[in-house]
Amino acid sequence: MGPIRIEPQKALEEAQRFNRKLAAGLSSLRALDEVNYGATAKEEVYREDKLVLYRFRGDKAPTAKVPILIAYALVNRPYMVDLQDDRSLVRNLLARGEDVYLIDWGYPDPSDRYLTLDDYINGYLDRCVDAVARRHKLDAINLLGICQGGAFSLCYASTHPDKIRNLITMVTPVDFHTSDNMLSHWTRGMDVDLFVDTLGNVPADLMNWCYLTLKPVRLFQQKYIGLVDILDDKIELENFLRMEKWIFDSPDQAGEAFRQFIKDFYQANKLVNGGLTIGDKDVSLKNIKMPVLNIFAEQDHLVPPSASRPLRQHVGTRDYTELAFKGGHIGIYVSGRAQREVPGAIHEWLSART
Amino acid sequence: MAGKKPTQDWMADWQALQKQYWSAWQDATRNAAGTVPDPALPWHEGLEQWSRQFANSGKQNETAERLLGSAKAYVALMQSMLAVAAGKDAGAGVQAAWTQALRDGFDLPGLNAAFANNPLAAMLQGLRGPGAHGFSELPQAFAPFLAQAKAEGMSWLNAPAFGYAREHQERMQKAAAAFAQFQDAVGKYNALMLQSSQRSFAIFENKLAERSEPGRQIDSLRGLYDLWVDAAEEAYAEIALSDDFRKVYGDVVNAQMRVRAHVQAEVERLGSELGMPTRSELDSVHKRLHGLRRNGADARIAGLERELASVRSELTALKKAVPRAVAAHKIPAPSAKTAKRKR
Repeated sequence: MGPIRIEPQKALEEAQRFNRKLAAGLSSLRALDEVNYGATAKEEVYREDKLVLYRFRGDKAPTAKVPILIAYALVNRPYMVDLQDDRSLVRNLLARGEDVYLIDWGYPDPSDRYLTLDDYINGYLDRCVDAVARRHKLDAINLLGICQGGAFSLCYASTHPDKIRNLITMVTPVDFHTSDNMLSHWTRGMDVDLFVDTLGNVPADLMNWCYLTLKPVRLFQQKYIGLVDILDDKIELENFLRMEKWIFDSPDQAGEAFRQFIKDFYQANKLVNGGLTIGDKDVSLKNIKMPVLNIFAEQDHLVPPSASRPLRQHVGTRDYTELAFKGGHIGIYVSGRAQREVPGAIHEWLSART
Repeated sequence: MAGKKPTQDWMADWQALQKQYWSAWQDATRNAAGTVPDPALPWHEGLEQWSRQFANSGKQNETAERLLGSAKAYVALMQSMLAVAAGKDAGAGVQAAWTQALRDGFDLPGLNAAFANNPLAAMLQGLRGPGAHGFSELPQAFAPFLAQAKAEGMSWLNAPAFGYAREHQERMQKAAAAFAQFQDAVGKYNALMLQSSQRSFAIFENKLAERSEPGRQIDSLRGLYDLWVDAAEEAYAEIALSDDFRKVYGDVVNAQMRVRAHVQAEVERLGSELGMPTRSELDSVHKRLHGLRRNGADARIAGLERELASVRSELTALKKAVPRAVAAHKIPAPSAKTAKRKR
């Protein structure tokens, strides 16, 4: 018996169905309005340059005594954590009584080209931590760093340990030189000085192109073949478009910060190998003695689990917890499983430590 | 089993499907501007029609373009696979025939020629990236220099420049050499992509062979396509994680940056001659502003720290002085009750 049992009649019907859906998609795509994002009410509590610090408002007052500050990556927009009503890490944390703040780093323009990691970590992030702590009359708050924001949070927690009560990292790269880390593999042949000196700020489109080429057939083609299946489902189509908007609504990267991040993290792997300095502060993961919850996604193609797991061996804390999520880099925020598992895990872990 | 109908009946069905297909497109495009497609045109022309209409609609345009690009390739694949399904006993499908159908699917008239046997290179043909706008025009700009250089075995690019336009000629020589290096690097990259594409078909055949067990067989065109995607990604990952690829990828990026740097320098020169502000000038201003801001912030913080230290030392001194003064003047310390009333 052969591997293929495609009956011609069924194949014809399948092709016909595909074409019918595609043709009908013309009207459904045209009829759609621009998609919106952001499900939860929020207020601005601090602003500096292009950065805005928000506090989210839930349906009920928070019961947690120590607030969570979310530090997202620079490479995408932070509204992924609050994409829509039924896909919102923020909303689910609020529903459990957490008090949630979020840093929106903004869209750097050429005037921000010379912002360094020192400006981002010891400057902006530090002042946001201070602003939140001041509002709650606390010395230390909870920090939740996501992806590159997780790497920033590790640096910050190492150099300002007294200001962080509990540290949560999500899909955060720690060891950048594991064998399955394609992104890191590619950057190691790059002359990043030439790159930044030439480009200045790194264009978002170039970054996105690079991410898409990690899985070119799936992301350039198969994904859109799959889109045909949902062209006649308005809700699913809106969800798709919302995600599509998030993926391509990316800020340019401040040149100097990018240069340092690629050199020190991707190329020299200093977070693990040591020798990392941010501004005038030496970063050592051994200084991280507060409780740490490390959440990573098992099918993450951008930050493979092998890049996140080593945190356990390098942090100085004795209170280290790991959560392996069955999903990908994006699914960890937006999938149904994520809504059920991730916010609850964060809340329970924090409740046990406050 | 598929073989109950003779092939000509399947061909009749196929034609009927084509008609339905065009009628669907006609329904879809009835209210839009443009001509009704000619049914004699191949399938993907219908998608082109749709694409052209969307180009003017503005709304959801990017998604529509991506959708159409993918759909076009997929429709071509379906067409190729349908031909196999209709012409063979599908129950006893032969791996090689289906693999060939996939290959053929990437090589249909009207599709980009780069698709032929190398779908990965076709997907990545914008390697230079949309963030590198203007690069598509570079080949034309450099064509005369490169043509001359190639005709003379590239030695022209190393020839000494002299005379009034010496500096200009030297810059153009360097830029042309950089562009030739970029082309060379892209060529090596594309060779690896071809290798990856070829490997994907081999992996596809292996994956097909694994599906012979009952319950694991593929019974749809989509299933077959998805299997090929798995194979293609596996093949690509093998290549993309190799040391060769790291070197070639780095070379492409670095070579592209060198070309960009030359182009930017020329644009700056032109801008200067026209009295326009240049990127270097702005960079210089931004750098100074950033430095000033950091120094200013540092100075402010240092000032505040000094002030805080001074207040702290005054407070410490006061704390020490007050009990001594109280003792010296025998001032009664305020009772809790009095203190409360005063507040």
